[in-house]
Amino acid sequence: MSSITLALSKGRIFEETLPLLAAAGIVPTDNPESSRKLIIGTNRPDVRLVIVRATDTPTYVQYGAADLGIAGKDVLLEHGGAGLYQPLDLNIARCRLCVAAPKGFDYAAATRPGGRIRIATKYIDSAKAHFAGKGMHVDLIKLYGSMELAPLVGLADAIVDLVSTGGTLRANNLEEVEEIMDISSRLIVNQASLKLKRDLIQPVLEAFAGAVKP
Amino acid sequence: MRWVLPDYIQDALPSEAEQLESLRRKLLDAFRVRGYQLVAPPMLEYLDSLTTGAGHDLELRTFKLVDQLSGRTMGVRADMTPQVTRIDAHLLNRTGVSRLCYCGSVLHTLPSSATATREPLQLGAELYGHGGIEADVEILRLLAEVLRLADVPASRIDIGHMGLFHALAARAGLVPGREEELFGLLQAKDVPGLRTLVADVAEPVRAALLLLPELYGGPEVIEKAAALLPQDAEIAAALKDLRALAQSLSGLPISFDLADLRGYHYHSGVVFAAYGGGSPAALALGGRYDHVGAAFGRARPATGFSLDLRELVLHLSGRAVNGAILAPISDEAGLAAEVEALRGRGEIVVDALPGHEGTWNEAGCDRQLVLRSGRWTVEPLQGE
Repeated sequence: MSSITLALSKGRIFEETLPLLAAAGIVPTDNPESSRKLIIGTNRPDVRLVIVRATDTPTYVQYGAADLGIAGKDVLLEHGGAGLYQPLDLNIARCRLCVAAPKGFDYAAATRPGGRIRIATKYIDSAKAHFAGKGMHVDLIKLYGSMELAPLVGLADAIVDLVSTGGTLRANNLEEVEEIMDISSRLIVNQASLKLKRDLIQPVLEAFAGAVKP
Repeated sequence: MRWVLPDYIQDALPSEAEQLESLRRKLLDAFRVRGYQLVAPPMLEYLDSLTTGAGHDLELRTFKLVDQLSGRTMGVRADMTPQVTRIDAHLLNRTGVSRLCYCGSVLHTLPSSATATREPLQLGAELYGHGGIEADVEILRLLAEVLRLADVPASRIDIGHMGLFHALAARAGLVPGREEELFGLLQAKDVPGLRTLVADVAEPVRAALLLLPELYGGPEVIEKAAALLPQDAEIAAALKDLRALAQSLSGLPISFDLADLRGYHYHSGVVFAAYGGGSPAALALGGRYDHVGAAFGRARPATGFSLDLRELVLHLSGRAVNGAILAPISDEAGLAAEVEALRGRGEIVVDALPGHEGTWNEAGCDRQLVLRSGRWTVEPLQGE
């Protein structure tokens, strides 16, 4: 029997996907926060969930290890989106991709055309594209977490990171100096799966589309 | 690290190499009896002729080097289709129909998908000189037949039409760079991105572009498109082509995806992708490319498909194949004749060079020739 697999990360994306799944008549049998299982069944025998790291979601879907996935636009931009369909903005896990710098840093002067700035970030491609668009050179330092620390210890002039409430920035004496883009999560689909399992995937797509909050 | 191959490059070891070669022969034979003549273009050419008329995406995918004799830039072919088109347009110069086929290695600077090789063994067939839908029907039937012969029957052949994209993009009046972006967004069915890009486009073209990613499924999407897309001669012609295909190919597992802009930018009309064997990527791609020949002096109607044999053999079910037969080295009467007879039936027979007892299993032998009461008989290999 044909079945479908949905890849998603636990935490905010999982929590905010639950109402969408419910609209498609899908209820997970376990909670990934309390269970340590990586494959989670649902009330439907032909639908299962796999719990992956957020940055790995597009990879699972691209290789066909999962038919569907839910991934932030930030993650998709870094991945490149090869081999994926991205038909639906789910409008969940909303936040912004921003440049942030220590309070008092003269960002306008540092980013004149022809200027050069040192940026610490997890989002190398997005940061590069943003500063290239401003016509300036940027030295990028790839970090995997706690970006806010980098300007405080002189590792970088500023950071490019996701901001939702701004609490971490304030706690570390940083401020948002420029917004790059709004981020929300997308439904992604493996290209062959959409063709070969259309009877299973299409109803899920339609139910999600109907349940997306504006 | 001395014997490590570059990423996405691999050897074909004996069993895979044999599968590749036997499949190559079988498929080229199938082409031959259908009138497709084999051509063998060179591995490298001047870059101009390799990528002219073929678009930017193919040029990015081409390895380049400088010719020491002429100082000109040469490219290693990344796709044989433009080469075969050059042969048809420029060298054969036929006025009627020309059916050509080919098989050879091509090289890609970047792998075409996450699981693809950078050195595909491209096998394909092209039909030149007929602009009617009959040529597209012939090519699609040939593709289905080739996959059936390879024991990886297509579970789905997805058909689209570049005419829809061209008509809508032209009417949207986008600047050239934007059209490229539109192409990418449609390929990814990126509806949110599409909505942003076409925000300034006038109706009804805006609504039509947003509708395209939803137009996939059975033949009913053709009528849905006819009802919902704007009245336009090019769109009507495209839908007429698709209707004709739906009718002629009803025996095949076809479906339609009107936003699926498969293949390279040089495609102009009906395009298609075949899926099967549980592969997460398409097994074969093809379509119509009527304008490419113009770069070689003669625009000819053209359609065809190609596939990567290396990818195809990955999906073959592992058939149990007979191993080799070990024959003793001896002047015994009748041995040479028996060995000849076995080889004539396609069996592999190897001579047991002395001093290698106990190693014939790893050489692929599973049987041996033994003299039993005056007759040479084949028996299971013992004592190895």
